[in-house]
Amino acid sequence: MLDAFEILTTSGIVLWRRSYAPVPSSIVNSLVGDVFIEDRRPTDAQGQQQTSYRKDKYTLKWTSAKDVGVVFVAVYQSLLHLSWVDNLLTAVKALFMKEYGAELKKPHTTKLNTKHFDATFDALVRKLDTGSTRRQSEADSEGPVELTPPSSSASAGEEAVDEPPPPPQPQFKKPTVAASSRKERVENYSTDATPVPTPDTSRPSTPASHLLTAKSGHGKASRRSRKAQNTLNSAPVSSGDESPAGRPSKKTATKAKRRWDADGFAVEGEDEVLDYSAAADSQQEHADREVDVEDVNASQMGSRTGKGQFVLKDLDDEVDAILASSKQQPKPDSTEGDSGLLGSATSKLTGLFRNVVGGKTLSKADLVQPLQLMQTHLLEKNVAREAAERLCASVEADLFNQRTASFTSIDRTIRESMSKALTRILTPTSSLDLLRDVTTTTSPPNARPYVISIVGVNGVGKSTNLSKIAYFLLQNQFRVLVVAGDTFRSGAVEQLRVHVRNLSELSRREDVGKIELFEKGYGKDAATVARDAVTYATNTGKEGTGAGMLFDVVLIDTAGRRHNDTRLMSSLTKFGQLANPDKIFMVGEALVGTDSVAQARNFAREFVDTKGKLRNNGVGMDGFIISKCDTVGDMVGTLVSMVHATGIPVVFLGVGQHYGDLRGLNVGWAVDKLMK
Amino acid sequence: MATSSPWLTWAFSPTISAILVTLVISLLLPVLVHSYLYRKATAQALPAFLLIGPSGAGKTSLLTLFANGTPSPTHTSQETQTATCQLPSSALASTDRYRSVNDHTHDQPQLLLIDTPGHGKLRHHALASLTPATALKGLIFVVDSAAVSSAAGLTETAEYLHDVLLVLQKKHTQSRTSKGSQGIAVLVAVNKQDLFTSLPVGLVRQRLEEEVARVRLTRSKGLLVDSGVGLTDDGEADDESNWLGQYGSKEFKFGHMEEYGVEIEVVGGNVKGEGEEKGRVDGWWGWIGENL
Repeated sequence: MLDAFEILTTSGIVLWRRSYAPVPSSIVNSLVGDVFIEDRRPTDAQGQQQTSYRKDKYTLKWTSAKDVGVVFVAVYQSLLHLSWVDNLLTAVKALFMKEYGAELKKPHTTKLNTKHFDATFDALVRKLDTGSTRRQSEADSEGPVELTPPSSSASAGEEAVDEPPPPPQPQFKKPTVAASSRKERVENYSTDATPVPTPDTSRPSTPASHLLTAKSGHGKASRRSRKAQNTLNSAPVSSGDESPAGRPSKKTATKAKRRWDADGFAVEGEDEVLDYSAAADSQQEHADREVDVEDVNASQMGSRTGKGQFVLKDLDDEVDAILASSKQQPKPDSTEGDSGLLGSATSKLTGLFRNVVGGKTLSKADLVQPLQLMQTHLLEKNVAREAAERLCASVEADLFNQRTASFTSIDRTIRESMSKALTRILTPTSSLDLLRDVTTTTSPPNARPYVISIVGVNGVGKSTNLSKIAYFLLQNQFRVLVVAGDTFRSGAVEQLRVHVRNLSELSRREDVGKIELFEKGYGKDAATVARDAVTYATNTGKEGTGAGMLFDVVLIDTAGRRHNDTRLMSSLTKFGQLANPDKIFMVGEALVGTDSVAQARNFAREFVDTKGKLRNNGVGMDGFIISKCDTVGDMVGTLVSMVHATGIPVVFLGVGQHYGDLRGLNVGWAVDKLMK
Repeated sequence: MATSSPWLTWAFSPTISAILVTLVISLLLPVLVHSYLYRKATAQALPAFLLIGPSGAGKTSLLTLFANGTPSPTHTSQETQTATCQLPSSALASTDRYRSVNDHTHDQPQLLLIDTPGHGKLRHHALASLTPATALKGLIFVVDSAAVSSAAGLTETAEYLHDVLLVLQKKHTQSRTSKGSQGIAVLVAVNKQDLFTSLPVGLVRQRLEEEVARVRLTRSKGLLVDSGVGLTDDGEADDESNWLGQYGSKEFKFGHMEEYGVEIEVVGGNVKGEGEEKGRVDGWWGWIGENL
């Protein structure tokens, strides 16, 4: 069953919330952060985007109303599979917009009076949830019968054993508690009568058992209540169509079982139970009907009791209409009836006029052509096709049915929206301050060397960029150990030896830092070389307690490898686990084309820790270094493709082939270049 | 054709009535056009305060508390939100400081609060609101005093504070108009003082100052973020303009920013009280009142 339902604005204020079970606020926060802000939607094996998000043991589904900036979120346990949540979201969105849409459009709205919505929501849940829920919910209005404490427990592992006794009292006053208790009691009945063909497949008794309260009645109570509610359903509360279907099945099921209580007595021993006539319970019925109707009354959807029932019927029709329309194919936008040549000419003229002056509401037809041009423009800037398509789709979704500002054409609006989307992609969530991190790690207490490793495909510039980083660190007075982890390519160790020689000469001249090479020749396993190097740099226990670390930073070079060669990529995982670097940077060259996406994804996927979780909060690597940026001029689209594919930020740009040609990323500059 | 319209001949004839009518139309028409065009712009702009701070500090809760009187539950913000608030009777606006206490004829002034997202990717909203010459009376930087006790939270807060103060400093030193070089008041609102793990206000101030000093040191030693592959207009070193406060000083104190017109005050409080208690925000209201 649903754990929580929240309606919040895009600025974070919760307009309305209903929680059936305590859900920590961090769950929805992480949904907002991961999906809406960082756009890290989970994809399944075929790369299709899913519309549900999982965190801890919850699954979240959502929908949003973009014009007023409201998001509807439903949270439920991952173990359950609730198929009706999508319908619920659609219906809630339509009803909420209808009731509060005008109020939300006013400026400076931070609070809504949403008391009326409670009853609407309850009615919706009752309607959209399975038939068995609806039917048995009426039984709860019976008072003392349900109070019998649980003697036998069919469901294992309840924690809320004290839940059944309190509900009948507060029921009449607080709809919230009643709703939850109704739902919990529903669980009991479904496990009670197992052969009942409930259409809802979402209630496996064992795994979700902590949602079930203890069984609150014997067969006597349940049969009596079931009978009572069957007769109640003859009252003109809507969707009585479900009860006839259920009634015979329920009766056949209950007849099959005989319940025994703790004292060893058969529960059906009393005569009252076998009397199925309505007259005996008419007293209770009457009271219950009063109570039922009063509940509806309190929702202020009607003033008279008669009206209350009618309004529920209206709600049903409305909800059916909403669901039917949402399932229909979206109709093609009806163009205005151009009556002949004159009509089309005037509409074209007004369209042109509006295009210049602004104030035009953007429809799908308006956006298609300019977005196509924008996508071609991005492709020309060397952005991968997948990233360009996704960007254009997100811009279209943002601008659909929005009005252009005054004196801005459609083109300009699209460009602004695209710049904003690009800025948001390229801006990192938390900017990397390498010097800060190194200083913190190497300062006492718990001083240890800071380990950085560089990975990438063949020939992108790993060794060159590694020596640029070494030069940068040397200028800041750190002691650097360069590790020749490329034990495969001929000449790799010698290349690094030359770099280290140059850098040590430079550092000697400027009297900064210290640099050294650690190598074990060719043919060894790179992971063990890395681990030995870190041990050497840490220098524990070798020269007694007086000596500290020999080196502050350990830079590990690795062999270039094709990202689609699984054997080579799997050795990276072992490398990541053995060397345990603080930072893993992947070098990608700015010249690469659409291969960049696959490269980034495959490399990021390899870095899992021993528990199987991707390091660095589930993204894998810590940053990209985009090399050879001076050779591409304006076409820096690789930045966008790689970040878009993985969500990992770009930390450095290589802008030349000398030691000093390393820059940080300036997002404004990059977006300017892309939009030029 | 002229014979069929006698009023045309009358209009062109030198009669007194025609002259009077012409005078009336020519004088009234601009007035009517002006009042039509400016009917919406006659609303006076309220004094605006910007709420800024790292994610999770409590900016949106503060906004709802100030606007509605009780804080609403909130989640991470994705967009800016504005709200109009009225100064409570406990706070005295600076414009009313010479009024008698017994004078009840005036209403407390209204102000506009702008709440910005604190998430790293969305900080451009906040920084964009700082740069144009809008009528920002003050800036409220909200700090989570419990997060500041951990190193990561302290670093994030200090980095953001450093960026904001640097933007304000640059606006002051590099503005070409006298309006841009006007000072702005900054309140560092130390929130969540009711939590057990929160630090006292003086300690938060001291830690923030030390951390901002460290951040500006590493920023100055870091790589150039120009990325301009031969693109920089001004070739001179921007070291001094990127250094916050007094150039070359080891320590950073909030008082150093006064030479750029940025007056920083650090006041504690909490938006949500423990259990049934209400939050204590009187210090913040008092600062807003002083700067209205």
